[in-house]
Amino acid sequence: MRALLKSYVAAAFVFLYLPLVVLAVFSFNDSRFTLWNGFSLRWYRAAWENSQLTHAAASSLIIAVCSTVFATTAGTLCAYGLWKRNTRRLTAALYLSLVTPEIVMGVAMLAFYQIVLAPMSAPLGMHTVIVSHITFSLAYVVVVVLARLRTLDPRLEEAALDLGANEWQAFRRVTLPLLLPGIAAASLLAFTISFDDYVITSLVAGVDSETLPMVIYAMARRGVRPEVNAVSAAIVVLLGGLALVSERLNRT
Amino acid sequence: MNRRLFLLSLPGLLGCSSGKTRRLNVFNWSDYVAPDTIPNFEKEFAVSIRYATYESNEEMLAKVMAGNSGWDVVFPSNYVILPMLENNLLAPLDHRRLAGGLDHLAKQFQAPSWDSDLKWCVPYMWGGTGIVYNRSVTPPPESWADLWSDRHGGRLTMLDDPAEVLAACLLKLGYSLNSTDPAELGQAKQEAIAQKQFLRAYLNAEVQDQLVAGDILTAQLWATTSALAMHGNTDLRFCYPREGFPLYADNAAILRESSQPELAHDFLEYLLRPEVAAEVAMKAETATANGAAIEKMPQRVRDNATLFPSDETLARGEWFAAMASEAQQLRDRLWTEIKSA
Amino acid sequence: MTRLRRWFLAPAAVILVLLYGVPLAIICAYSLFERGAYGGVETVFTPANFLRLADALYLTILLRSFLMAGAATLLCLVLAFPLSWFISHAGRRKHLYLALVVLPFWTSILICMYSWMFLLRDTGLLNTVLLELGWISQPLPLLYNYGAVLLGLVYNYLPFMVLPVYAALERLDPHLVEAASDLGAKPAATFRRVVWPLAAPGVRAGAVLVFIPCLGDYLTPDLLGGGRTIMVGNLIQNQFTAARNYPFGAAVSLALMSVVMLLLWRLLKREEEVLP
Repeated sequence: MRALLKSYVAAAFVFLYLPLVVLAVFSFNDSRFTLWNGFSLRWYRAAWENSQLTHAAASSLIIAVCSTVFATTAGTLCAYGLWKRNTRRLTAALYLSLVTPEIVMGVAMLAFYQIVLAPMSAPLGMHTVIVSHITFSLAYVVVVVLARLRTLDPRLEEAALDLGANEWQAFRRVTLPLLLPGIAAASLLAFTISFDDYVITSLVAGVDSETLPMVIYAMARRGVRPEVNAVSAAIVVLLGGLALVSERLNRT
Repeated sequence: MNRRLFLLSLPGLLGCSSGKTRRLNVFNWSDYVAPDTIPNFEKEFAVSIRYATYESNEEMLAKVMAGNSGWDVVFPSNYVILPMLENNLLAPLDHRRLAGGLDHLAKQFQAPSWDSDLKWCVPYMWGGTGIVYNRSVTPPPESWADLWSDRHGGRLTMLDDPAEVLAACLLKLGYSLNSTDPAELGQAKQEAIAQKQFLRAYLNAEVQDQLVAGDILTAQLWATTSALAMHGNTDLRFCYPREGFPLYADNAAILRESSQPELAHDFLEYLLRPEVAAEVAMKAETATANGAAIEKMPQRVRDNATLFPSDETLARGEWFAAMASEAQQLRDRLWTEIKSA
Repeated sequence: MTRLRRWFLAPAAVILVLLYGVPLAIICAYSLFERGAYGGVETVFTPANFLRLADALYLTILLRSFLMAGAATLLCLVLAFPLSWFISHAGRRKHLYLALVVLPFWTSILICMYSWMFLLRDTGLLNTVLLELGWISQPLPLLYNYGAVLLGLVYNYLPFMVLPVYAALERLDPHLVEAASDLGAKPAATFRRVVWPLAAPGVRAGAVLVFIPCLGDYLTPDLLGGGRTIMVGNLIQNQFTAARNYPFGAAVSLALMSVVMLLLWRLLKREEEVLP
């Protein structure tokens, strides 16, 4: 029975990792086609030299960093507030934003920006993308930080208050340090989600804000370009590394 | 606190672009310029160009519809010029700024049906839709009706575009591809649904790769994309169906919201230059509307029957026309029914 | 305590109301207006968009989306349960396994789907290998059908099932299982009467967390389905792009959102503990 379970689990992980492994392997293939033709870094070089890709990567990075900073800040504060005492409506709104289909959220935001920005003759751009990313990352941050908060002993803060600290001090000097691993994990999560996003970004992006997923989608639509494989493999390693770091941090 | 302020100011810093060089934002179809086209313009006029691409008119329209997309120059197909005008999206062209470039256009594009004074747009590239097929398909397809057969072994694709699929069905039935008659469209819908049993998928330009690799044997595809595919696989052939075929023309236009109208006009004038247009046409494997450019191209390119069909073939072609609202809604509903069947 | 707390909640509340609530309200408004002649929105009130939804064509699409999402959810459950069980009994390595399960999800759904397309094509890896091994003589049509879409959906959302089920199973007292077998119950009976009821909250949470995104997914049917199938997500996307019919698209979005809200409400009422 146990052996059966073990082989099932092994098969499950093969299923989960097959596409990623294949992607990585073929990104080193010295040929455009499925036939293996030798090991080569040419597609990585081609990707690096492709200015559209590098610009998009830079945009994605800037957007992800900005949205992560704001989403983590707002989300952490919100999680703390909810931990103290739950507000059903806010929690419900947060979870709703978590499960709203991306296409609905994307078109709603596009409509919102068109109505708000058009009268001011302000274009869509990096700012609209960043703001959208903050909005949909928020709930993820709250969930992660809240989960972490629930493992903390509320009596620690009580003790601080008894010893004469006010609420802000209790938060800043007792809870916050204990919360840091959770905050770090949440921010890594927010970064990943933002870096990765295609549906919403493609709808609200403007002239200057072509992101990496948008370029990859466009390139891949015109054929399986091996450069896409190379970029994808690089992203998998990067984001995978971040995710693993996040997991370790969340455990301490 | 200091850290927070610094972080808050970051977006502000990002907002300040390098204000020194003038910049033009160009939104074009993918694979529609030569590698040198943009850099040469940037050098000659000492400006920078922000260039991005799209795969369909709808993608472009979704961005520019509200009037604050930030783009200066776009390339709408002939049948979306009217909707764009109705929504007040285009800026009128000043012919004086185009320095006689319009004279380079081929005769049939100097007063096209969608903009007879060329007040709003300048024809850029044009093409038709036909059938690209692998030599191994026997007998080789010659008409749309041949796509309703299992000689393709199920490895057939049609374009993921309601206008194109309905056009093929309408032409197969002997009607005009711009038909708005509900009865005719209803029959076309039935045909499309009947075709699904022979069909692998609805794919656009991405089928090119599968044609080259051999996954797909036959596809309804634009001439220009077919030409690109044929480079990758010498077993591929192209034909313009007997019953007729759709024609489209992509035009350069300036958006009303543009803050750089003079520079945009310079860009349009640049694209009209015969050497530039010839270079684009040859590198992108597409037919240009620029007659003077055609004269500059080598004979073997001009003889390419895929891109430059003979006059008698061309006579079977029919330009796509803009659709009025009810017709558009009817076609859209039929497309949903076809996809859902 | 409340004053500080209100300040803390303020940024998130403002963001949600302004950047989530207002856009949704705009969509609600759009759904009641008319489509302009060439696209765009005319501010003329009409219930036509919702009435149009009552058509058999759109109801079929909604039904099909429900069935696909349901099948994907069921499949996720069947595949995830043994995996979650294994992880919850894995001792020290629990968190490592969890991270490994979640990793592909964090590394871009889009990329994974292109990889699957690469794998499943007629000249893709799977067919090439099977042909070389001589197991088949003609490539199998693995791509551009419902099966491929189902595979894509399961692949994308499996972690959403694994995590809540794991969370529930982790709290399962192993002594209960021991006690059941001591009392003579066979493994099947133990599962049915001890494990399953206690894991149920996790299963319910996982089911909702998989079902809802599956319902609205449009990339998977688009890429892996070859445009042959149309689900609710595709319909919405189509209305907001090719068809330029924002009001109808908004109406369909609202229909989808009401289903989502209903399921979510039921979930929140019952199981707050096992959400990730």
